[in-house]
Amino acid sequence: MKGSSPLVRPGAPGRAGGPDTTRQAGHRATGTGSRRAARSERLAPYVLVAPAVLIILGLRLYPLILGVNFSFTGDGDRNGMVVGLDNYLELADDPLFRTALGNVGLLVLLLPVAVAIPGLLATFIYLRVPGHRVFRSVYFFPAVLSPVIVGSIFNLMLAFDGPLNTVLGTIGIGPVDWLGDPGVTMFTVVGVHVWATFGMALVVFLAGFSTLDSSLLDAAQMDGASLARTIWHVVIPSLSRTIAFVLVTTMIGMLTSMFGLLYVMTSGGPEGSTYLPEYYIWIQQGQMNRPALASAASTVLFLIMLVVGLAQVGLLRRAGRQD
Amino acid sequence: MKQRTLWSAVLVAGLTVSGCGSATRTAPSPAGSGTSSKLVVWDWKSGDATAASYIEKAKADFAKKHPDVTVEFVAQPFDQYYTLLGTAIQSSTGPDVMLFNGGGQLRDRVDALLPIDEYVAEDRQRLAGWDAFSKDGKVYAAPVTLQGHPIYYNKEVYEKAGLDPAKPPATWDELMTDCAAVKKAGKSCFALGNKEGFGIQFFLSGLGSGVLTPQEYDDWIAGKRDWTSPHVKQIFTLWKDVNDKGYNNPGANSTAMFNDSWAIFQSGKAANVIGLMSDIGHWKDFGEFLPPDKIGVMPAPVVTDGATPSLAYDGGIGYGVAKWTKDPKLAADLVRSLTSTEALTAFYAKAGAIASDTTIDASQSGPAAGAIVSAIKGGKPALHVALSSKTLDLMGRVSQKLLSGSLTVDKAMDQMAAADKAS
Repeated sequence: MKGSSPLVRPGAPGRAGGPDTTRQAGHRATGTGSRRAARSERLAPYVLVAPAVLIILGLRLYPLILGVNFSFTGDGDRNGMVVGLDNYLELADDPLFRTALGNVGLLVLLLPVAVAIPGLLATFIYLRVPGHRVFRSVYFFPAVLSPVIVGSIFNLMLAFDGPLNTVLGTIGIGPVDWLGDPGVTMFTVVGVHVWATFGMALVVFLAGFSTLDSSLLDAAQMDGASLARTIWHVVIPSLSRTIAFVLVTTMIGMLTSMFGLLYVMTSGGPEGSTYLPEYYIWIQQGQMNRPALASAASTVLFLIMLVVGLAQVGLLRRAGRQD
Repeated sequence: MKQRTLWSAVLVAGLTVSGCGSATRTAPSPAGSGTSSKLVVWDWKSGDATAASYIEKAKADFAKKHPDVTVEFVAQPFDQYYTLLGTAIQSSTGPDVMLFNGGGQLRDRVDALLPIDEYVAEDRQRLAGWDAFSKDGKVYAAPVTLQGHPIYYNKEVYEKAGLDPAKPPATWDELMTDCAAVKKAGKSCFALGNKEGFGIQFFLSGLGSGVLTPQEYDDWIAGKRDWTSPHVKQIFTLWKDVNDKGYNNPGANSTAMFNDSWAIFQSGKAANVIGLMSDIGHWKDFGEFLPPDKIGVMPAPVVTDGATPSLAYDGGIGYGVAKWTKDPKLAADLVRSLTSTEALTAFYAKAGAIASDTTIDASQSGPAAGAIVSAIKGGKPALHVALSSKTLDLMGRVSQKLLSGSLTVDKAMDQMAAADKAS
């Protein structure tokens, strides 16, 4: 809307200039016509953006408000009754929901790792380690697999009597219950998620590298800088915008698309240790028949995402300003 | 992300509305439109190839009684079934006859159903499993299959461990001795899948009748559950003991019951499994890899003096009559046809389910099916089915903590008691 009105508005007086002079000459009929034309020109932008605005209002904001409203009503016997903040108090009291929120925090903490892995691998590809062409395509391959497929593959790989534990056994390391130990499983799932999605970030990093000034690298090499110092002092500062972008998209990916993996790999377990808010909402709504409580959890998740989203927009804006 | 949730909500709403639209189209024609009328049935089974002959037999039986009435079966996808049904119930239009899972799924929706006691009085003796389809003394659906938790054992593994497959353990001490022998032979004594937290439900219901006295058992089912009683506590202590002694397959908390634990049992890696009677994880399902004569069924080993082991089962699925149907007698007749001996025999034989009809001869399906059917008369409702879904959810997590050792049985009982009281 903001964009379209300046485009249309300046045109209107210019074209109306002709009829304006004729109106001064007393031609009333033409004057009405011109006013009508002016009005339709003025209304045109609103009409044009109306479909989009109506869709957003009707299919996004209105259901959102309904959902928030619904979260203040009860479930079961109290269906439809206003219960105030009861659902939110129940959420605060539910150790499972607290675990889910804690896991969101854990995801945020693991974010640097999830960004560093594709960043480092992209650096190696850029620095042409042997076989970099093969790695480039191999790394991207998992990104085309759906979470259900990835989850099923790793369910087999990471089973207690599965291949990974067999390999570990041959080198003398005892079996790890990758999907059955509450202290390990969340990291396992995040690891699988990173494996499945880092290809996309890698491509973004490679695109970023293509804009890197190679003379800086050459200069660093001439000065005898080590690989670590080259990465720290040359690569990272030059790629700050790319890193910010990958940070934001990886964060979004972690917070929104873990459901499939959790569903297939852990079902929120063991001991409820891998619950995320999304999974909690799904369980309450679908399994426990608690739609109002699920709405309350959705509202909390929405607020968290709002804060995270605004922080990310700020981050992107700052990264953009640096140039 | 929220937006994505919203979009999918809108999408689901749209689908539901269209689903409901199709329901209204197929609703019975208005009364008085002529002699011919139509009944609509909703279920999730009639589309299965294995249920085809069952539906055919039921239709034929009904056509004999009411030749001028057409019956239409609408098979809905199971994962959306209760959502679609909910919309139909909200608008009081839709099917005349509908399929339900026994227990909570039916009891939550009795407002939309007609009590059918007067129509099915003749079938009360012949069919089993009515409790799961009753609420406050009234019957709302007629059982088609039974679902329960027999203890299966692999006779080959017993033989390999030097045990007599004709003499499964009758007491807990015997079971532990046998388990030790099985472990020595390099196998697991129990195939256990507790990834979803279902393992404890099967353990509780499969073995509970050997631990609780008949009085305690009946009290539990009636809702008078004492989580601090020594026998209830003992069930959970045994659950932990079996695992601590290494009698379960390793990694039970990361093994899915559906279908990894069945696979462990079928492939001969474990001697026993507490399975199901119908649909999946049962005598016919295992038969794919284990010949029927190699599968045995044993009653729950006796732990407490005075406990009488009984088969734990409930009504599995059953057909009910909608409150808004034009002619309740007609719809009830269809339900009766759907539970006729002939139709249920076809269902049992083809779909691999223990049918609710106690007069069906199951002896041809091997000793396991025969043993289950003969135990139906003396069976009791399963212990875990009496618990609310919220309590079951907690029990799943608590059971995982018991296996991993991060929770004591006493603390577990406190949590369970609190959850059970709240729901």
